[in-house]
Amino acid sequence: MTKIKKVFRTIAGDRQLLFGCLGLMILLLVILFQGVLETHDPYEYGSDSLVGLGVNGHLLGTNKLGQDIFSMLIAGVSTSLKVALISSMISAIIGILIGGAAGFLGGKVDLVLSELINVFMMIPTFFLELMIIALFGNSIVNVMIVIGLTSWASNAKLMRAQALSLRERTFVKSAVVMGESQPQILFNYIIPNGIFPVIANTTMGMSGAILTEASLSFLGLGDVNVISWGQMIYDGKSYITSAWWIATFAGLAIIFTVIIFYMLGDGLNHALNPKHVSGGKK
Amino acid sequence: MMEERKQAMKKYVIRRILSGILTIFIVFTLTFILIKSAPGDPIRTLLGQDNDDPVLQAALEEKWGLNKSLPEQYLAYLSNAVQGDLGTSIIYERSVNDMIGEKVGATVLLGLTSAILALIIGTTMGIIAARHEGSAYDLVTSGATYTMNSVPSFWLGLMLIILFSTKLGWLPSYGMTTARKNFEGWAYVADVMRHMVLPVMTLTLVTIPQYFRTAKSAVLQVMNEDFITTLRATGMDEKKIFYKYVFRNAILPTITIFGITMAYLITGVSLIEVVFSWPGMGRLVLTAITQRDYPTLQGIYLVMSVSIAVVMILVDIIYAIFDPRIRYD
Amino acid sequence: MEHLLDVRDLSITYLNKSRNVQAVRHVNFTIDKGDSLGLVGESGSGKSTLAMGMLRILPQESIQMTGSALFMGKDLVTISDEEMNKLRWKEIAIVFQKAMNSLSPVHRIGTQIEDIYHVHEPKATKKEIHDRTMELLKLVNMPERVYKLYPHEMSGGMLQRVAIVISLLHNPKLLVFDEATTALDVVTQGQILEEVVQMEKTIEMTRIMITHDMSVVASSCKKVAVMYAGELVEIGLVRDVLKNPLHPYTQGLMSSFPSLTGEKKQLRAIPGFLPDLSDPPKGCAFASRCPHCTAQCMAQKPTLRDMPDGRRVACHLVGGNEA
Repeated sequence: MTKIKKVFRTIAGDRQLLFGCLGLMILLLVILFQGVLETHDPYEYGSDSLVGLGVNGHLLGTNKLGQDIFSMLIAGVSTSLKVALISSMISAIIGILIGGAAGFLGGKVDLVLSELINVFMMIPTFFLELMIIALFGNSIVNVMIVIGLTSWASNAKLMRAQALSLRERTFVKSAVVMGESQPQILFNYIIPNGIFPVIANTTMGMSGAILTEASLSFLGLGDVNVISWGQMIYDGKSYITSAWWIATFAGLAIIFTVIIFYMLGDGLNHALNPKHVSGGKK
Repeated sequence: MMEERKQAMKKYVIRRILSGILTIFIVFTLTFILIKSAPGDPIRTLLGQDNDDPVLQAALEEKWGLNKSLPEQYLAYLSNAVQGDLGTSIIYERSVNDMIGEKVGATVLLGLTSAILALIIGTTMGIIAARHEGSAYDLVTSGATYTMNSVPSFWLGLMLIILFSTKLGWLPSYGMTTARKNFEGWAYVADVMRHMVLPVMTLTLVTIPQYFRTAKSAVLQVMNEDFITTLRATGMDEKKIFYKYVFRNAILPTITIFGITMAYLITGVSLIEVVFSWPGMGRLVLTAITQRDYPTLQGIYLVMSVSIAVVMILVDIIYAIFDPRIRYD
Repeated sequence: MEHLLDVRDLSITYLNKSRNVQAVRHVNFTIDKGDSLGLVGESGSGKSTLAMGMLRILPQESIQMTGSALFMGKDLVTISDEEMNKLRWKEIAIVFQKAMNSLSPVHRIGTQIEDIYHVHEPKATKKEIHDRTMELLKLVNMPERVYKLYPHEMSGGMLQRVAIVISLLHNPKLLVFDEATTALDVVTQGQILEEVVQMEKTIEMTRIMITHDMSVVASSCKKVAVMYAGELVEIGLVRDVLKNPLHPYTQGLMSSFPSLTGEKKQLRAIPGFLPDLSDPPKGCAFASRCPHCTAQCMAQKPTLRDMPDGRRVACHLVGGNEA
């Protein structure tokens, strides 16, 4: 019981973590009650094309195909969260493995992997993602995998730094002396102890993933069969003068969700690493 | 002592350049492998959907050297690229150098202007916020930049178009110049600048938060350092301490951030170019991708990598100038 | 004869949302020209707070100072910031611990010296400042080229000497060494302390050496003041106090340092912890750790009393006359 209490107190103590968690809960509730909240079936092509706010029971209007904007926004929550979660999981796993190996094993392995990390940190990964999607197909699964495959570099860098310092700790050194194999040490000691900054970074990465998916959809490279906010903005681009509501609310939804994940990430950083100085108060 | 330092600086620069070249080379190779391993090819695009003529296909492949083995194609492209020739676009049959050359200026204009404005405005705002930590100014700017960091650039562009173009009619929303009006001299400059306002504003606004955050946290951190306490103990004027000592120390992370932000900016510029139909490289990339125009794609990617590498090397050198501790790395 | 520094009933409290910590409590002492006073105490005894507080370098919003500290006729506790700035460095200077951190890493030593010099002599020329610095550098056996270096290009010992030079720029009447040699290795520490003692032969210097290390006091000071939990418990001449410590805490300190010469005595640490200064004990602060503690010690706070040999001790068991 006391551990849970501790968690609650930590959350309540940090403003960003608190709001981040509350926001996340709201999002999860929306997904849970998706069926109830949607006023119309978001995939259904209705007869009211391009109608404005409040017309005919459409809270936020409709698009050219008659789809209800409000319901589409609700449906988009699960898309965004799915993309955020899966792509950042992939990115985290790759980053932890590469960074952990580089930092712990050192030597030539480190040299090669570090160079790889630098390459990925330097190149504009968005264009890489663009290319892969355009070349290999734009299903939502591809999008998630691609984002995961290209955004691991910051996680790797963090994990590597952790591994480098953990490597010198006594408990790791004694494990080496006791004859434990390198993979064992990596997975039993290095990764579990060094993972904290990566967790915070991954949470922030979720924000990035949502923005990237939106950007890809905006360029027409998203999955047309899945309702996503980026797709809605792409859709609304042509109607910017006549039906501004199509693109506007989708963007607001993105902003809201991205802020929540930033706050979560920042808050986690404070909680897990008290020396971190963010843009907020000291 | 000075001679030693100059020598160390030279070595540092050379090392940086070599490292940059290595990275570019790796990117080059990765891109090549990636493009070649994807389904579809430009011949398909040229032939069109229905044309299946094998003779024509073979002829085209011969013409463009696509029937050679991959390593051969790789080396051919590499040797040309090193000499400055980025090949010929398969789709348009124009020199890739020319195609990029036409568009690159517009992109650089947009990107560089936004980068510098964001640097100056964001850093200044951050420094002021740190100096008056906890004040209303600090709370408002911190909150605003926090939010701005979460805004998709292309959406912001669209919103600004709605506001300034559609509703208020003050600024144009399309292109770099007013079509059908061939301005000359200063009138041309003015016309371009009018068209630049919205795209630059969009890009600058979404980039400012990075600089704000970096500057603010750097200044706060430096103000807590021991040597600031020492200077205060000497009775030195608070203003002098801030503008000479805090500033010079706090500016270092901002320099580092400039290089990193460049990579993000290049992404941002392309999206903005699409929103505002700005005639830059962004749109070029998209068409090249959909048409599988290998040479153009490779060429653009190479140009981008080289630019970023150059910026990063410059940033590292400038950093070394400002931080005397680095050169002996 | 007027004292150079006359501290009366000085108390410094750190203000905090949840509790206030009384770091320095009712401290009284005086310093005369030419004195070298060693201020000794463990971490948390309040010695640094005392020095920083007197110099008004502590953040104003979070502390409360009562009492007085008369220096050259002015009360350091109450004078305005402007007046304080006039005194800073010109009359009172401080040498901090870890000189590496007390200088800006991106500015040359010479630049920083010039700026510091200009605070009180805005019209001084670069040459004047350079010459003055060279003069001082000789006193600490440092080469001239140091002027053009950056902090990271020097060793810890060199930096500490530079810090001493910087503190002497305006020939201050009072110099405070705040744990100035703590971060150095023993050999360098010994060298620097010797240089400081030598310096006194050429220039007039009054100094306070704040340290937790008795050996520093023994080798470089004439007087010693022992602090415990924010209070002064014993103050007197080094040769008296160190040879024959009267206060139980001082005795404890002396026996917890090994001696290089003489017979091997058993080292004894002082068991227990510092009292909670947000809720200080009514009686003697050291009572809970004192091997000779009595009921009176727990109930009544002892005051500093004059002893026949001139020192002052605050202990019920030691006697002495009211100070």
